Amino acid sequence: MRVARLALTVAVMCAALAGAGCATGDFSMRSEPPQTPAADNVAAVARAQQLQAQVAAAATAVQPAAQIGEPITAADVPSMQTYDPWERMNRFTYRFNARFDEAVFLPVANGYGRLPDPLRLGVHHFFANLSEVVSVINYTAQLRAGPGVRSLGRFVINSTLGLGGLFDVAQKLKLPGAPTGFGATLARWGVHPGPYLVMPLLGPSTLRDGCGFFADFATSYAINIANLYRGDAGWALTPLNAVDVRSNTSFRYYSTGSAFEYDTVRFLYVRKTLIEDEGLRLWHRAGKSDPQTPAGK
Amino acid sequence: MLGSLYALLSLTQLATAQAAEEPATGLADSAALRATVYGTPPQDIAPLPAIVPLKQINIALPWARPLPKILWFDRRLRVWLSLQDRPAPLAIVIAGTGSDGNTAKLSILRAVLYGAGYHVLTMPSPTFPGFIAAASSTGVAGDLMQDGRDLYAAAQAIIARLPSSVRITDIDIIGYSLGGAHAGVVKSIDAVEQRLKIHRAVMIEPPVSMFDSIGRFDRLFTASIGPSESDVDRLYRRVYVRLANSFRAADEVRIDDTDLLAAAAAVLQTDADFSAAIALSFRLALMNMFFEGDLYAGTGVVIDPRHPPLPGDSTEAIERALREKSFSEYFDKVFAPYYLAHRPGATRESLIAGIRLSVIGDALRKDPDYYAQTNADDLILDRAELDWLKATMKGRIAVYDHGGHLGNLGDRRQVADMLDMLAGRWSGAGQ
Repeated sequence: MRVARLALTVAVMCAALAGAGCATGDFSMRSEPPQTPAADNVAAVARAQQLQAQVAAAATAVQPAAQIGEPITAADVPSMQTYDPWERMNRFTYRFNARFDEAVFLPVANGYGRLPDPLRLGVHHFFANLSEVVSVINYTAQLRAGPGVRSLGRFVINSTLGLGGLFDVAQKLKLPGAPTGFGATLARWGVHPGPYLVMPLLGPSTLRDGCGFFADFATSYAINIANLYRGDAGWALTPLNAVDVRSNTSFRYYSTGSAFEYDTVRFLYVRKTLIEDEGLRLWHRAGKSDPQTPAGK
Repeated sequence: MLGSLYALLSLTQLATAQAAEEPATGLADSAALRATVYGTPPQDIAPLPAIVPLKQINIALPWARPLPKILWFDRRLRVWLSLQDRPAPLAIVIAGTGSDGNTAKLSILRAVLYGAGYHVLTMPSPTFPGFIAAASSTGVAGDLMQDGRDLYAAAQAIIARLPSSVRITDIDIIGYSLGGAHAGVVKSIDAVEQRLKIHRAVMIEPPVSMFDSIGRFDRLFTASIGPSESDVDRLYRRVYVRLANSFRAADEVRIDDTDLLAAAAAVLQTDADFSAAIALSFRLALMNMFFEGDLYAGTGVVIDPRHPPLPGDSTEAIERALREKSFSEYFDKVFAPYYLAHRPGATRESLIAGIRLSVIGDALRKDPDYYAQTNADDLILDRAELDWLKATMKGRIAVYDHGGHLGNLGDRRQVADMLDMLAGRWSGAGQ
């Protein structure tokens, strides 16, 4: 039975790849999800007002809340170079991901995007709710009681009142989601990101966060909540999750058209990771970093 | 992981799409700099439709130069099309320097034009790396007429391949920033060749003299960032420190897309910061143009023509070298050598003249179907250039008091005037 499913999956993927081969002719025209400018603008106005309120609040605050140690200075900043000892392999994987995205991932996600909104939203909330389990464990391991309790509360509320996670009731009760994972836990305890790593299908990461991703999946699999991961439909869970993530992500490979896209993405991704780490780490090293050492090393 | 990537790339787009793309004077006031970087406040945007359908078109164009291996992903030109479900006029919209056919600014123009009943075709700038690779017949971007001819040919090829169910009643052309100049140039070419019968052109904040502005712009880069690699490094450290400390000061660390954007926006504080963001965004666009020009022309400035980089190769050293290269170096070492060799009778002076809007000065003066919109405090124009534009366009130009460069694109007044201009009913009232 499992072999048959696997064969079916491989056949579907081959068919999709072949279909995408046809789409790489001299002319193609394909529908994208429609744009919703009016609603987007309403959201942008709300965000701008929120930002203004934050800036105003920051200006009137007596002192910043919970400053962790001394502020860093220019001397602490990691080099503009990124530690990427596996660059050739990473570039190959990036290129593979771009092609897979074009041939399989995006067409499937676009097709999925045509399903009714409430259905897709339900799926999205469902996976977000499942991830709360991992978040609770990791917040505990990070010794962060507040967010941990909030994640636990969200899980309880959304699993019950939210009908098994299909509705985000907690959000309406002003308990917004804030997922975390094992990568963040490692960062909390001072583990550096390590080499830049482009993961097959998943995209840019670092060695630490890549390991974190698999640890989180293994945790979910071990807990096997409601027998979802190891039950009869377990094989469909991960692909559906992936499609949900992809259809909610606007990123397009090579939309920059630039030969430097790999460098740009690597630079920004690793800087974002390092800046997030600044807020996560429990303690900070006293010594200054060597500006010649590539960031992430 | 892909989710956070989107946030990161939108950050770079924030810089490249919203900041000035043409040289700035560096003398502008604070408000103009801020408007240029932040763009039109969302609450000032003209009414937008609820839904805009969107199709992505990929097309291979036979006149493109052979595709270098490192640009494997740029084989086909990518444009976007929004179709009405009934016969309608087509608006062709062209992006500014270095930008793709799907920027945030193009999305606003697309939405208002679609809402006003147009089919909308949004196209990248001929200086966008994907256009240079897939649609340029030279590989060396910057010459207004040559880039205009490539754009014109690409637009024809695309329209010819549209399904017969798409019925186009009329064609207008619009562009912002450098794309505004291209819109004018394409209409002037069409006036002779008559293949599309473009009716009206609206040039939104076009540069008058790219070349003259470049000197000012390179000076802005030097003044706000510095001339060398170490100065770029210093700017990077400044931004990093501010971002990192804001995250360390956070009560609780929750970083999602909007937090990151908000944090990045909050990092810019002084006029020097805004100037640096504007200067840097132009430099990033220029790097791609420089890279591909050097690659196609074989001029060997940053790329060894005998051993061009391949897809698996590191491009970090090339990128670092390009960060220090100004537009005048592009002109002197790539653009001029290429065109002097390939265009009989060309001189340095004729090439400089070829990147001025005055190449279509006669058409702009005489043909009542050209319109322009600009700002009195636009960073890419000096006083003499603004006066030239006003004198040339006579009663067919709207000049707004504020907005910097593109800091009012999509606001109610700009949009209302643009739609009136396209409909031929703009009276210039309220100027």
